[in-house]
Amino acid sequence: MNKVLSRRSFLRKSSKVFRQSCIVLTTPMILSACQKAGKDPSNFKIFSMEEGAEFAAIASRIIPSDDSPGANEAGVVFFMDNVLNDGREPEYEILKEGLRSLQSVCVERLGAINFYGLDASQQDQLLEEIEGGEFFETLRYLTIAGMLSLPEYHGNKNNIGFQMLGFENRHAWGSPYGFYDADYQLEGDK
Amino acid sequence: MDFRIKYSNNTKVDFVIVGSGAAGGVIAKELSTAGFSVVVFEQGPHLKASDFKHDEWGYKHNGDLVWGKRKGHPQTFRKSVEEKPTEREVCFGYAHNVGGSSVHFSGNFWRFRPIDFNEASILGPIEGTTFTDWPITYEDLEPYYTKVDWEVGVSGLQGSWDPPRSRDYPCKPMPAKSAGVLLERAGIALGYNPYPAPVAILSEPHNGRPGCIHCGFCNGFGCEVDAKSSSMSSMIPLALSSGNCELRTFCTVSRINVNKEGNADEVVYWDDAGIEQSQKAHAVVVCANGAETPRLMLLSESSRFPDGLANSSGMVGRNLMFNGWSSAEGIFDQPVNGYKSIPTTRVIHDFYSIDPRHGFYGGGGIDSRHPSDGLPMRSALDSGRFGGARWGSEYKKLVRKEFTHTAAFHGHSTSLPLASNTVTLDETLKDKWGRPALCCTYKDHPDDIATAKFFQDRSVELLEAAGAKKINRTPVVEQESNVHLLGTCRMGNDPENSVVDRYNRSHDVANLFMCDGSSLVTSGRGQPTMTIMALAFRTADYIIKASKRNEI
Repeated sequence: MNKVLSRRSFLRKSSKVFRQSCIVLTTPMILSACQKAGKDPSNFKIFSMEEGAEFAAIASRIIPSDDSPGANEAGVVFFMDNVLNDGREPEYEILKEGLRSLQSVCVERLGAINFYGLDASQQDQLLEEIEGGEFFETLRYLTIAGMLSLPEYHGNKNNIGFQMLGFENRHAWGSPYGFYDADYQLEGDK
Repeated sequence: MDFRIKYSNNTKVDFVIVGSGAAGGVIAKELSTAGFSVVVFEQGPHLKASDFKHDEWGYKHNGDLVWGKRKGHPQTFRKSVEEKPTEREVCFGYAHNVGGSSVHFSGNFWRFRPIDFNEASILGPIEGTTFTDWPITYEDLEPYYTKVDWEVGVSGLQGSWDPPRSRDYPCKPMPAKSAGVLLERAGIALGYNPYPAPVAILSEPHNGRPGCIHCGFCNGFGCEVDAKSSSMSSMIPLALSSGNCELRTFCTVSRINVNKEGNADEVVYWDDAGIEQSQKAHAVVVCANGAETPRLMLLSESSRFPDGLANSSGMVGRNLMFNGWSSAEGIFDQPVNGYKSIPTTRVIHDFYSIDPRHGFYGGGGIDSRHPSDGLPMRSALDSGRFGGARWGSEYKKLVRKEFTHTAAFHGHSTSLPLASNTVTLDETLKDKWGRPALCCTYKDHPDDIATAKFFQDRSVELLEAAGAKKINRTPVVEQESNVHLLGTCRMGNDPENSVVDRYNRSHDVANLFMCDGSSLVTSGRGQPTMTIMALAFRTADYIIKASKRNEI
């Protein structure tokens, strides 16, 4: 079976149905979050507005905006759109196919047309079910890559991803580098 | 203005060198500064220090240096000839640029030790392997190791832990990092002899190049200040300024032709416009690495050499060795910050030869590193070794801790040579030039796995002694890819079972030399580049002397 969770198994796995009213957002509304990253979504290279909104919504659950900025502020969806346009057709196909499955689950189970329209806990519950599958893992990979690549690839805006890690992209460091070498020059072989 | 020399294809140059990497760069410098006319072919670009960036996506995920399938160079893998090869992004990882993999390697730079050259006669044969002595000894190579130290540039600390050396290191050791201090203090507590890692990275200015600025992007990256002692930084500039060396980049050699006397006299290549050309030469030196050198020999078959050029022994492409590897990682209370400065600063070589009473052959060393090479993206992708969330707010906290508070103790160890581990031409898959793709057939010998596990056990003990709060073992598995590409045109005295002689000269073709990882008879204990460069200096020395005697 394709690692993308099939609709049938998706539905079977989630017998404890949670049908809650969901907030219906429009595509422009969800993308306004991405605009915080200073990018105009109408400039997507390959994503449709809807794809951009859906992938951005998933990315922002993988790296959420909480007490520090997340995938939305880093502009991860623009990284995805950029690199998938560069000889990564197989990965883009995985995302498109996986998104279709995910959306049909949203419709059948929750009566929602789009994933991005669900609330965060609904989104997380769906993502937990598909974790480990090809669709989720591809998006996780691209989200992390979009957080931590150089900003020239259109993600990691203002080094938001590097800050998440406690990494500073400097060209030079001096000793001591960490805690355990701080006393080394003085004490040596202890 | 460009004053560099250019040779005509029809001018018979003294030497064509195929490949500008660890060996090719050294030989180009030696031959050209000795006054010979030299053309060097390199598949990739001539990147300079100023071209390199901290571009993890480009270098590690996009194939910008290593190429592979994404760049039109797919490879295939199988564990044995009974299996159908499957296509891989990369099995043989090497950089396609001037300087080759010496540009993007970690710079970990161990000399081999005397026992690496004669271990088979000490221990006796190992059944099912082609384990044998080298035709040269450590003493034969020592002057050339010292040449590498001083001409290419090595930092380290001379001491009782070293193999015998005729001269001290030119540069003081690199400053210890936290992971190195953890390894050193744990090693001393357990009664071992940790010492400063010898590295091909300058700790201070040497030969007109600056010292390291500790940016942290060594392994998989090019040095942005020329402090890493790649052949690109250390040798190629001298070759080009000799006025005798032409470097042809984006030129891919397709075959070597032999004349009716059986001498190599022409090198056929696709130029930077993709047009087939050929260069006449008095002699050819192939330094294309342990995967590309055998492929070129196999592709250069002819009626005179039906099984491939220089392959009367049938050993071209055989005896592929990777070096074993293992890792255990620990998480610590305080910041380790392995992302700063060079990959490793301390090593332990107390298990260079594991006591045979353990029941298996092997040996190696342990060094301390960041578990994910100190790379931000890889750290976040690898995160979860010690449990915890893979996404969401919890994950954000976890990646920060794992990035800054972890150290890995790695085992680097022996690989036994097996005739069944090979580089061959894939029967169906082609690369962008229409050449058969490289096919890797590889299965670690059980002793190699036992050795890797032995080192992982030692690493875990060391992490415990270092005070790690949690420890993870990365499973030791049979290898399916590597960057150490060794043994595939092995050196030997007997033309029946080796490809090149003790001076890296083909047994079959008098004016053809091969020098790179393919020449190695045994794998050493990891970190083969120092030995490849030393062999290159020795080969060049021999070529120069033999040429003056009119023997080439």
